[in-house]
Amino acid sequence: MTLPVKVSAVRVEKHFLDRGKTGVHALGPIDLSIEEGQFVCIVGPSGCGKSTLLRIVAGLITPTDGSVELRVSRLKPSPTAMVFQDYGIYPWKTVEDNIRFGLDIAGTGRKEANSVVESWLERLDLVAFAGSYPNVLSGGMRQRVAIARALAVEPEILLMDEPFAALDAQLRQVLQEELLQIWERDRRTVIFVTHSLEEAIVLGDRILVMSARPGRLVLDEPVPFARPRSTELRASNSFNAFRTRLWDCLKGEVEATSGSNSGSNSQQVDP
Amino acid sequence: MTSLEHREDPTEFTVSVVPTAADVDPKRFYRRQRRTELSLAIGVPVALVAVWQVAFALEFIDHRFYASPWEIVTSDELRKSQFWSEIWTSAQRMLKGFALGSATGVGLGVAMGVSRILRASLESLLSALYTVPKLALIPLFVTLFGFGDLPRIILIAVTVFFFVWIATMSAVIGVDEGYREAAVSFGASNRQLFRHVLFPAALPQVFVGLRIAAGVAVLMLIGVELVLASDGLGALIEKGRTLFLPELTYVGIAMAALMGLVFSSLIRIVARKVVPWAPEEQSRGQA
Repeated sequence: MTLPVKVSAVRVEKHFLDRGKTGVHALGPIDLSIEEGQFVCIVGPSGCGKSTLLRIVAGLITPTDGSVELRVSRLKPSPTAMVFQDYGIYPWKTVEDNIRFGLDIAGTGRKEANSVVESWLERLDLVAFAGSYPNVLSGGMRQRVAIARALAVEPEILLMDEPFAALDAQLRQVLQEELLQIWERDRRTVIFVTHSLEEAIVLGDRILVMSARPGRLVLDEPVPFARPRSTELRASNSFNAFRTRLWDCLKGEVEATSGSNSGSNSQQVDP
Repeated sequence: MTSLEHREDPTEFTVSVVPTAADVDPKRFYRRQRRTELSLAIGVPVALVAVWQVAFALEFIDHRFYASPWEIVTSDELRKSQFWSEIWTSAQRMLKGFALGSATGVGLGVAMGVSRILRASLESLLSALYTVPKLALIPLFVTLFGFGDLPRIILIAVTVFFFVWIATMSAVIGVDEGYREAAVSFGASNRQLFRHVLFPAALPQVFVGLRIAAGVAVLMLIGVELVLASDGLGALIEKGRTLFLPELTYVGIAMAALMGLVFSSLIRIVARKVVPWAPEEQSRGQA
């Protein structure tokens, strides 16, 4: 079964100019095509350009070479929506208004927006906090708001940039499972950047491993576990064997990063 | 609370950690704490005034040059309608100047925060003008705007403008890139970006600027009225000196202090309504 291609990248490269000095070759060249409805996880060492790739797909930055094409059926509201690791949601908006944000931008009518916001408040268990400002919410709650805000606009492509990296291990697992449940219902295309192999395996249909900077694809592997995936999967032998295989591939890249640039190790890859 | 208790063996202790008053009855504890703080806030100034009164009564203070608190409070000046109309004149000048200055300050601050071109053209010029002592502009403004209210209002406005302009511009520039990106990722237009992100993100800082400017507005008001001493609170203070009526000068100074206090409290109350998400200390700023 082949589904239509949703995202295709052709020889995408990104150089960052460092104020006239020699630029940094951050990314590429990368060739990639993602089918509609696929949940793709990207893992790689810190600074390998995985977030850069995501930002290019989101249209936030442009590639210095090559091109990315999205096949979408509409332009407004935005065909992509992004969930950020932090700064995603606005402290000056209540939970409700944060979720409504994308709809406001798209100019959705009041009545329709209200019912959409209400249904997302319910689905992510945020009804009691609808009128609260984010500063009273826990980290997990805030990320729920960010997810609700992204999904409220029904994006054709959902982009997630290490959305759970700042959460503790238990909460991360809870939110991963919530995300899976939501995704199972409508199966939209997702590109999910993470530094956790476990997270990538639990969530993804397909895992892309990126090399140390400049980021290239070194492995493109389908995840061999059937959905819906149970919590027990994480403890199974086949899960661990698969993770070990990916880690063997990734390890060299992580070592390359920490060897050449020990200053930027704040965020490492979890085996 | 931790306490040590000697057993029979003097080298052995029991350390016990027990709830404090704040844990047992937090409501009562915080009510009492608030009450203590409030009574200190009122009590300390009152005590200082009492010391002043006593020093005056014991003639430690020269009665020709200084008035006692009692003389100030019971001064005939306070019962004259002319006194209150002078204060009203001053208050109006200050409010008009403040409104004009803060409106242009927010406007230009936002515009320069958003536009690199505007910033490149105006920032160094305005920074140079910022350091000019504003009272030195009085002769110029009198020549330009005559002897009426206008030069006074404009002088206050100019002073207020700089504080609000700098606070607003740096706030808009400082809005975190992540906040902008989130909006752009949803396809926000420049206008939407401004309305949903840049403006609300900058508001708490703008209020810090407004509170500082409120204090400076009173300062400028009195300054300009001391120089152009035809009417207003500053003129009263000066009149007290020239006519040897020390209590009049003191009444004037006390009124200026009161005006500043009321005005900056007002801005704090407005800030609490307008930026409810901002932590209290942020909108208080240094003012």
